[in-house]
Amino acid sequence: MRLAWSVADDQFRRELEAFLDANVPEQAANGFDFQGEASGGELIPSWLREWQACLFDNGWMIPGYPPELGGRAATSVQTMIYLEVMAARRIPRATHFPGYAIVAPSLIEYGSAEQQIFVAPAIRGDTIWCIGMSEPDAGSDLGALKTKAVRDGDNFILNGQKVWTSYAMVASKCFCYVRTDPDVPKHKGISAFIVDMESPGIDVRPLRHITGQADFAEVFFTDVMVPAANLVGPLNGGWAITQGSLAHERAGLWVEGVARLEQTVHSLVDLAQRYGKAQDSGIRRKIAATAEMASSLRALGYKGFASFAQGSSAPEHSFMKLASSEAGKAAFELGMEILGEYGAVVDAVAGEDAGRWVTSFYISFANTIAGGTSEIQRNIIAQRILGLPRS
Amino acid sequence: MDFTLSPDQALLVETAHRLLADRCSASTLRAHIDDRSIATQVQQSLADYAPVAVADCTDACLFLDELGYASAPGPFFATLIAVPLLQAIDHDILNAVLTGEVAATVGFGGTLIPDADLVDYIVLVSPSGAIVVETRDTVELERVNSVDHSRRWFRYAKVHSYLDAESTPAGHRSRLDAATLGAWRDRSHACAAADLVGTARRMLSMTLMYAKQREQFAKPIGSFQAIQHKLADMALGLERATAAVHFAAMTVDAKTDDRAFACHSAKAAANDAAVRILKDAIQIHGGVGFTWEHDLQMYLRRATMGATQFGTTTWHLDQIAELLFAPPPR
Repeated sequence: MRLAWSVADDQFRRELEAFLDANVPEQAANGFDFQGEASGGELIPSWLREWQACLFDNGWMIPGYPPELGGRAATSVQTMIYLEVMAARRIPRATHFPGYAIVAPSLIEYGSAEQQIFVAPAIRGDTIWCIGMSEPDAGSDLGALKTKAVRDGDNFILNGQKVWTSYAMVASKCFCYVRTDPDVPKHKGISAFIVDMESPGIDVRPLRHITGQADFAEVFFTDVMVPAANLVGPLNGGWAITQGSLAHERAGLWVEGVARLEQTVHSLVDLAQRYGKAQDSGIRRKIAATAEMASSLRALGYKGFASFAQGSSAPEHSFMKLASSEAGKAAFELGMEILGEYGAVVDAVAGEDAGRWVTSFYISFANTIAGGTSEIQRNIIAQRILGLPRS
Repeated sequence: MDFTLSPDQALLVETAHRLLADRCSASTLRAHIDDRSIATQVQQSLADYAPVAVADCTDACLFLDELGYASAPGPFFATLIAVPLLQAIDHDILNAVLTGEVAATVGFGGTLIPDADLVDYIVLVSPSGAIVVETRDTVELERVNSVDHSRRWFRYAKVHSYLDAESTPAGHRSRLDAATLGAWRDRSHACAAADLVGTARRMLSMTLMYAKQREQFAKPIGSFQAIQHKLADMALGLERATAAVHFAAMTVDAKTDDRAFACHSAKAAANDAAVRILKDAIQIHGGVGFTWEHDLQMYLRRATMGATQFGTTTWHLDQIAELLFAPPPR
């Protein structure tokens, strides 16, 4: 065990810092808070699309990948350094994560040779993807999904509905999970397809979420024709891909979650000082507990990093997902407590930062629900890590 | 940045685990409740490990995690805490301590003194850094009964005035500078946290085994979600505290600026994990967890005491708040 980084890793960090110093767009030069910007702006700002392409072209989009996929064959430790630096400077890679974070690794692992042409544009952001997973009756119980695909010559015909589909209103492709065999146990009859969002029969209805923004949607499929060549992986082999998808989504999230928590600690200290709570022992202890949580989670993240870095579906991800999402929520709640009667005020003049704390508190529920709820994470910990029997 | 165990560290953990399982089983621990001589036997069996006290703090914490897992009685922990103080003043008993021939303990300020009945020397330190090493029989101690069967605790009521009044003859007394005292306190917090985390790990493993075996409503109780979610939260607390201890120990070894913060965090995380685990361990065991006959009580008693020594959670959080609100100048 040692705290020091290797010479090669320090060199990697310096190269990254130099690239960022020279190239970061002015909109992100002092950090960019996507959640704040999206409320009034575009869902995917054009400067951010250009930045994503710039990162790709310079091998800084997914450093662990080879240059043709927007990387530089970095080691897993270097990937973590990259995520840390980006998170510490609050520099986004893109707003639309499904393409580079979920679709690309799923296609690399399960896609046919022909389907590999979709990978680079997904990572570069040239193609915007959404993921068709949740349905009205299939949330945590994803295996219960009902949207079905029936074979018809060289095509499959899709019918059904997806919900909470992020970026569906701007996506040109959907990585969609559907039922292809209703007569076998539920997890064994699911397949994954690449669906063109321009196909006739697709109806996208944006859903406003709790803060009033709309970055996800309902998607209805009525007799949508999908070429059989768009099947990803084996027929009825989709469940294994869903497990991989979620693992990819979770793998690097802890770095960002912990960095955000550490930044929130500093904001809380500043807030307490400005709102006359710097000598309030109750508030001080709660901020200290948040700092302690961030520090111990960073240590736990490093400790489990060997398996995180390999992008495997290591169940240890669940510890980080559960703890960092819940701690983030509690930290924003603490900000509201410090603000007292102004905790829920979103007024641009009278409110603290136009209601940043309460808005962040609401948005933080996305982290304890999406990608497997906190309750599902506890099930995974209990059953896959602790070896308890299924209920 | 590397949190993986080196081959030597893995070997240390494995051999310590096997030795303690052999020499300090639950039945040994139970016999110790009425027979203090067993603590001396356990201490003798650990003599080969005495140099752990001068090893890296990471190695010391890995060993202490196993010591806590076994809830070993005897002054091994107390001696390990005393060694850096003896080193700092270059005391001539140091060599005998490191061969395991001599044991020592520490009284810091007015805090309780662990296992003073089984040591040869007591190191008394004041908050301002005055330090005296006394043979045990020259110090007046009184036993303070606690719930902990594995370690005995004592107090020396006059410790403050004795040291600060400078009544000790010059030449007999030394003084630690603030940096040395601070480094010792940080390391002590990490070490106390490591021992506590080990005991918490023991309780979690006992509770997991019980939840898999105990059946109600014709199913193992561990198949019920209410029990699973408790165990998941217990495991998260333990993993978090263990990682915090390893990080703290590495900051001690590397003498980094965030050392005090990391060590306060480690003990706070260990306290929280231990208390959560001991409460839910009793609850999940149900009636049997509430009995004297069940071995759980011996470990949860050590953990109950451990969470109140070397700083409660509230105290450590107050120290962290001091660092956050008024960071020391670099």
